Amino acid sequence: MKRKVISMLLCATMAVSMVGCGGGSDDASASAPAESEAPAADGAEAEAPADGEAASGGGGALEAFTPADGSPVAVNSIYKPAADPSDWTIAVVVKDSSNGWFVRMEEGVKQFASDYGINAYQKGPVATDAAQQVEVIENQINQDIDAICVVPVDPATCDTVLQDAKDKGIKVICHEGSNANCDIDLEAFSNAGYGAYIMDNLAEAMGEEGTYVTMVAHLTNASQNEWADGAVARANEAYPNMINLEASPRVESENNSERAYEVAKEVLKTYPEVKGFVGTSSMDTPGIARAIDELGLNGKVFVCGTGMPNECRELIKSGSIHSAQLWDPAEAGYAMCVMATMMLDGQTIGAGSDLGLASYSDMIVNADNSNVVEGAGWISLKADNVDNYNF
Amino acid sequence: MNNKTKKILHSSEFYVGVIIILFCLLIQMRSGQFFTGNNLVDIIRSFTIPVMFCVGELMVLISGGVDCSFPAIASLSMFVVCKYLENVTTNPLPFFIVAALIGLVFGILNGVIIGKYRFPALIVTLGTSSICWGVMQGVFQSREYPLCPALLAVGKAKLLTATNAETGLSSDLPMITVFMILLLILGWFILNKTMLGRGIYAIGGDIIAAKRAGFNVFGTTVFIYAFSGMMAGIIGVFRACMLQAVHPNNLEGLEMTAIAACVLGGVSITGGKGTVLQACLGMALLTIVSNSLILLGISTNWQNVVTGLIIIAGTAATAIQNQRNAKKLAVKLTES
Repeated sequence: MKRKVISMLLCATMAVSMVGCGGGSDDASASAPAESEAPAADGAEAEAPADGEAASGGGGALEAFTPADGSPVAVNSIYKPAADPSDWTIAVVVKDSSNGWFVRMEEGVKQFASDYGINAYQKGPVATDAAQQVEVIENQINQDIDAICVVPVDPATCDTVLQDAKDKGIKVICHEGSNANCDIDLEAFSNAGYGAYIMDNLAEAMGEEGTYVTMVAHLTNASQNEWADGAVARANEAYPNMINLEASPRVESENNSERAYEVAKEVLKTYPEVKGFVGTSSMDTPGIARAIDELGLNGKVFVCGTGMPNECRELIKSGSIHSAQLWDPAEAGYAMCVMATMMLDGQTIGAGSDLGLASYSDMIVNADNSNVVEGAGWISLKADNVDNYNF
Repeated sequence: MNNKTKKILHSSEFYVGVIIILFCLLIQMRSGQFFTGNNLVDIIRSFTIPVMFCVGELMVLISGGVDCSFPAIASLSMFVVCKYLENVTTNPLPFFIVAALIGLVFGILNGVIIGKYRFPALIVTLGTSSICWGVMQGVFQSREYPLCPALLAVGKAKLLTATNAETGLSSDLPMITVFMILLLILGWFILNKTMLGRGIYAIGGDIIAAKRAGFNVFGTTVFIYAFSGMMAGIIGVFRACMLQAVHPNNLEGLEMTAIAACVLGGVSITGGKGTVLQACLGMALLTIVSNSLILLGISTNWQNVVTGLIIIAGTAATAIQNQRNAKKLAVKLTES
């Protein structure tokens, strides 16, 4: 009898733990959006960095949250919608309503609502959980909404519910995870363009000359290697005096900040000519920065790359990180809502579409998937602006 | 040849040691930087956390079990104390005490299930491991988290700074290394100088024989897993100190490294045999390999291959030596 009870208990705990793990891994991806699957690189976007410069200006504007050009009134007058836009309702469903990343996104959605006078709001499950998210989406589409913007926990799980939404005539927009049943997927940037943007920042730090090394979590990681490739391509094209270390051009951090620290130290010991690092995983940048700091190389060796504000704040302020790159969830939230408005207005979204923010003013269609449009929504965190972000 | 040298020559430690020394000399020849103060400090630093986990794992392996749950226990304890104690106290000590208690609870859970019902340790600890990851992510909403100032100070405390006169690069040896040495001594003491330690070896050799000899098998098993869990809790907080940030998934996968290091050093995976020195040597080899391939000039593409080759070479040395010893033992038995 005792054994039976124990074995049943064990089965139950295992089941619970599986559920826990399922939710957990999703949570991890939410807390580190930088590692989430970005769309495949678009080789054609070689000139993306040019947008990058415009975008950094846009990043500045965004903190105050003023759309780049044209007041909302002007936009409304251009759209001339069939129905009165003030009757439209746009719901944004995110992965996790309490996560700092999505709290920041909500700021963008609210800003959109006040700029455009359209009812837009954000909802999300209390924990990052695919099944719970489907419930939230169901609840929303059963209310009288016109468009839904989803940041899916698991794109496949949302298939059915998003088809239901489409059947009801609701416009469906996805972000960070293209779903077969979404009308269009908005991504903050193309992989190559983001890599080039990191390189622009590193070049600025290094005075456009010197040897650098790129770091990725694993050489097999698709998006991070595309970012690194984009960075190298940008250097080759625009900064002739910046050289990717020949003996060891790309190193691995195994997505572990301690490993990034160890590897960076080893590189600097072995190749004293190295003056810069490109970090792609959000673990790379702080790890490399700690190595630079401890070796006493602050101001001599520089690191730029993906980094989360809370994680990098102190290292940026102390000067160990020159600047950390990422995309601003508030901008993405804002742009999604603008996109929904344009679609409700009967406009087609495609190459060159302007979503009302400087960094999303000249959209690019992904070469591999015409359902995916990409902006130039990257931002750079420096000592003077890192305190504007809390995630 | 006197008995002592014979004993050394016949020990697997000796051969792993030889491989380590040869490998170090090779790195020194290629890079000229292995035997510099800052490089050695870097390696000790990198060695610190994994080898501490090896102490608990070693005891479990000797007893004939295996513990796959310590990275999860360590991560859970670390995350919980870092998140909930940061506004309660500015003294680092309570962080470690609470983390140790959380680890202890899960360790006892492992120990009781394995000791009482004799379920396979691998499955039970995999189960607890899943539970810990699940609880951390589901209940406590784990995410990367900034470290509180009290623990930051622990992480930044250093024993010494080694500066390379030639390159001007300097490395800090963290204070945590002292704890590592204490833990290694404690592990050695328990295994060699106490009846408890004898019991661990006895259980690993033959559990029924151990019972008949009067060892408290259940109590000893619970102790081993409880010790491993409690240390995991403490070491988890140390890892956060060294990272200067709370990374809930940072330790994932370390169980395999710890088991590999023990076996590489000559600890028997079926139980009954193993020493702290063997675990240390195994981990030293793994650490040196993973921190020297760039110094050796091996490209990232080939690093995994080289690591694999060195691990196999190391294991072969200990395995061959163990087989030789076993043969000799058999001969002696038939003779008498």
